[in-house]
Amino acid sequence: MDLIIQPLLRSLETGSVYALAALGIIIVMRTSLVMHFAQGSMGMFAGSAVAFTFNRYGVPLLTSILVGAAVAIFLGFFVDFAIIRRLKRATAVGKEIITLGLIMVFLGLAPIVFGTDPMNLPRIIPRGDVALGSASISYNGILNIAIGVFIALGLFLILQKTKVGLAVRATASNESTAKLMGIPTRNVTLMAWAVAGLLGMLAAVMIAPTTMVTPTYMTAVQVSALFACVLGGFQTFYGPVIAAYIIATCSNFLKLYASSAWGDQLMYLLILLFLLFRPNGLFGKTYMKKV
Amino acid sequence: MSKNSRITMLNLGSIMKNSHVHYIIFGLVLCLFPMMTSAGGMKNSTLSTLAFVLIFSIVALGLNLLLGYSGLISLGTAGFMGLGSYIAAYVQDDLGLGFWVAVLLAIAIPTLIGLLVGIISLRVSGIYLAIATLCIAEILAKTFEQAEWFTHGTAGKQSKYPTIFGMPMDRSSMFVVCAIVLVLVMMLTYNIVNGQLGRALHAMRSSEVAAQAMGVNVLKYKLFAFSVATLYAGLAGGLYLFFLRSSYPSTWNLFLSLNLIAMVVVGGLRSILGTVAGAFVIFAFPELVLKKLPVIGDASGLPYVFSGVMIILVIMFFPQGLKGLADLGVTTIKTVFSRKKVTS
Amino acid sequence: MTTRNEQILPLEGTETLAASDILAVENLSISFGGLKALDDLSFAIRDREIFGLIGPNGAGKTTVFNCITQFYKPDQGTVLFGVESERLHRHRAHKVSVGSTDEPQDTEVVNLVGRKVHSIIKLGLVRTFQNVEVIPELSLIDNVLLGGHVDFRATILEQMFRLPRARREEKQYRAQALEVLEFLKIDHLKDELASGQPYGVLKKLEMARTLMANPRLIILDEPAAGLNDSETEDLAQTIREIRDRYHCAILLVEHDMRLVMGVCERICAISFGRFLALGTPEEIQENPDVQEAYLGEQESDQEGAQK
Repeated sequence: MDLIIQPLLRSLETGSVYALAALGIIIVMRTSLVMHFAQGSMGMFAGSAVAFTFNRYGVPLLTSILVGAAVAIFLGFFVDFAIIRRLKRATAVGKEIITLGLIMVFLGLAPIVFGTDPMNLPRIIPRGDVALGSASISYNGILNIAIGVFIALGLFLILQKTKVGLAVRATASNESTAKLMGIPTRNVTLMAWAVAGLLGMLAAVMIAPTTMVTPTYMTAVQVSALFACVLGGFQTFYGPVIAAYIIATCSNFLKLYASSAWGDQLMYLLILLFLLFRPNGLFGKTYMKKV
Repeated sequence: MSKNSRITMLNLGSIMKNSHVHYIIFGLVLCLFPMMTSAGGMKNSTLSTLAFVLIFSIVALGLNLLLGYSGLISLGTAGFMGLGSYIAAYVQDDLGLGFWVAVLLAIAIPTLIGLLVGIISLRVSGIYLAIATLCIAEILAKTFEQAEWFTHGTAGKQSKYPTIFGMPMDRSSMFVVCAIVLVLVMMLTYNIVNGQLGRALHAMRSSEVAAQAMGVNVLKYKLFAFSVATLYAGLAGGLYLFFLRSSYPSTWNLFLSLNLIAMVVVGGLRSILGTVAGAFVIFAFPELVLKKLPVIGDASGLPYVFSGVMIILVIMFFPQGLKGLADLGVTTIKTVFSRKKVTS
Repeated sequence: MTTRNEQILPLEGTETLAASDILAVENLSISFGGLKALDDLSFAIRDREIFGLIGPNGAGKTTVFNCITQFYKPDQGTVLFGVESERLHRHRAHKVSVGSTDEPQDTEVVNLVGRKVHSIIKLGLVRTFQNVEVIPELSLIDNVLLGGHVDFRATILEQMFRLPRARREEKQYRAQALEVLEFLKIDHLKDELASGQPYGVLKKLEMARTLMANPRLIILDEPAAGLNDSETEDLAQTIREIRDRYHCAILLVEHDMRLVMGVCERICAISFGRFLALGTPEEIQENPDVQEAYLGEQESDQEGAQK
């Protein structure tokens, strides 16, 4: 087995998962000014819905994913419409605590709705590998990498080149000004929550074959995605994506060469230390606060 | 003679208004519960549930200081609490150093780690503390599972009741110990939030800019609030171990941290008695009531849903929590009474 | 700068301040994203003087004193401030506090630039805020006590356990805070919460808080904003009384021309971050540059109104 290319390929795969989850967090962060702690658990809930439809009703996997997408979009809409936008008076911390409350709601609801037994979710492409020298990657792995890269690039293009993207960026930059300029900021945030839900669902479906679908199976993804946002900085959309791949690579190599049990923990420590030297992340900027 | 008695009356009046006295009375009431249990008026399991309410109240009080005054979120509270519990067990049972050393180290080591994490993350911005503590919690959770020599891994660390001042403890006396510690912590917290320290904390919460202009070193006070929160967590972790006599890695997960936040939010920010009430609602209500309900009582995720929904509802509709509810009740009663006086 | 020829004290390095001055802003520049908010600005405030800083909207008045109080770090320039030696060393040596006396004291000059925001008040420089930053959940007297924050010597532990020194200090400073409230005639409200008090009371409360710090220089940020005519009259009187009783200088950053012209002894006018003129209220009113700067503002206002 190749000891450099193989873990690199695996890192690209997990990095795509982290990148999607991190993108969801950053989109919500920039439009609703909330640190979306429930991104992982909402993804878990949608992912569980996919596994449930697939296992219980024997629905084909791709159709199940569509069901999961519908669930994810609905949850995103619901959370923004019923909760977040009614919190205009609450502080940022209040909103963050709300997303913490959402974690508990979804984690508690999952076993009630989908049962307590762990579920399996197969790969989208069941088998087949490509050899790259001494390393190899499954077709499904290539698909995952492609989905991650394609969606990240697609979102950038939409954000940078389209009118919708301009509306999102304007809302992210200054919501009240954007509103005055006639941008429907409410629709923008609503959309942001739905997109975040979709991205979380995709991340959940992509990571599921490597583990079991349980209420806590997205915790590691959530933590990594949050760290990706910290490492990449909250100011740009591309920073967290790049950081997600960096984190996945570090984690894989640390697990391989340092300690299989403590790899992630070592990486967390490294990130904490990194913050000492670059508090605003790799791509972050500092702003002077107006007094 | 009459002058003397008037002075005593005055003193009595001011004593009854003193918050410390309220807390002591509250503690004395708590001590009735073990008596009720031994008299057969209360189930042992109920007493245990109440003991956990007391222990979680201690942690939540520290967290309330952090959240209520500095607006900071810690997601590592359960980790620090767990660390306290394992240290207490290790020092008492493996090192045989006795109760006091065990408690002291269960407090000191998490506080030191907390200080380090705080120094690193608080320099950046508030939200980084949440992420840094999450990071530490993940590291600690892994430690609890992996460091067999220290924690006995997933099999769980077993311990025994401590001996305090030469007296061997049992369930009832440990309950009393928890009650005493809680009252002391309430008094200490009261001292912190009143007086100059409290004014600085209030200023920081109200406007960091104004606080700085008044000479309040915001970083120092945030660090202070976070240190107190970890200190209380370590202390409560030690108490938890001495009451339950065991500690498992699965206990110290993110959900406990979230539940502790729920206690603070539901009880009411910056309220001492409210926090205790919040701990009761979030921990004891699902244990004593929800689980006994037909059909839905068996659902395993129910307590989580309850906590989560409570957090959301309270922040959306009742940001003052139970404390606000109590205040509202008091003012309503007062207005009703004064109206009666007027009409009569 | 009329007083530069007086006795010069040689102090820390090359930093000098005319003996009669308490604060000197020298060559201050700061820019935000390429836009120069302050451009080589210099002026000096004399001890125990009521000094006005005026300028049309966006002239950089607020930026000036955010640079003085170190909320902003200026790109260039120095802010020199005269501090009584005793006060400067008290916070290091933990000595007993000095009262304000009429006797001239040894002063040392310090450069404020680069100091921590929360350390500025220790030097005797206190500010108020344009949109009144009092703490609504605290009583009036507790709000005032906050102004004495840096004077409390009791450590955090002493305060947590209410040890004798903490209790003694609380009592001592509470009495001092009450005096300040009495002086500003709002002592009857001392135990009321700040929330819900009328704006005029809150403005006074903020001033009371600054007095608690034994200030040598108070910076008032648009104190007349939101006050009616009679309240503004009252304010002018209060400002004079504060100076006379506490022997401190007052820097007034203000929009309300009547207040500035009525109460200030000297005024500095700035426009677009640049120095325009410095002099007595009469001199400023007659200065053609100042008139032009304000007239320009009026014209553009009218243009805006016509659109």
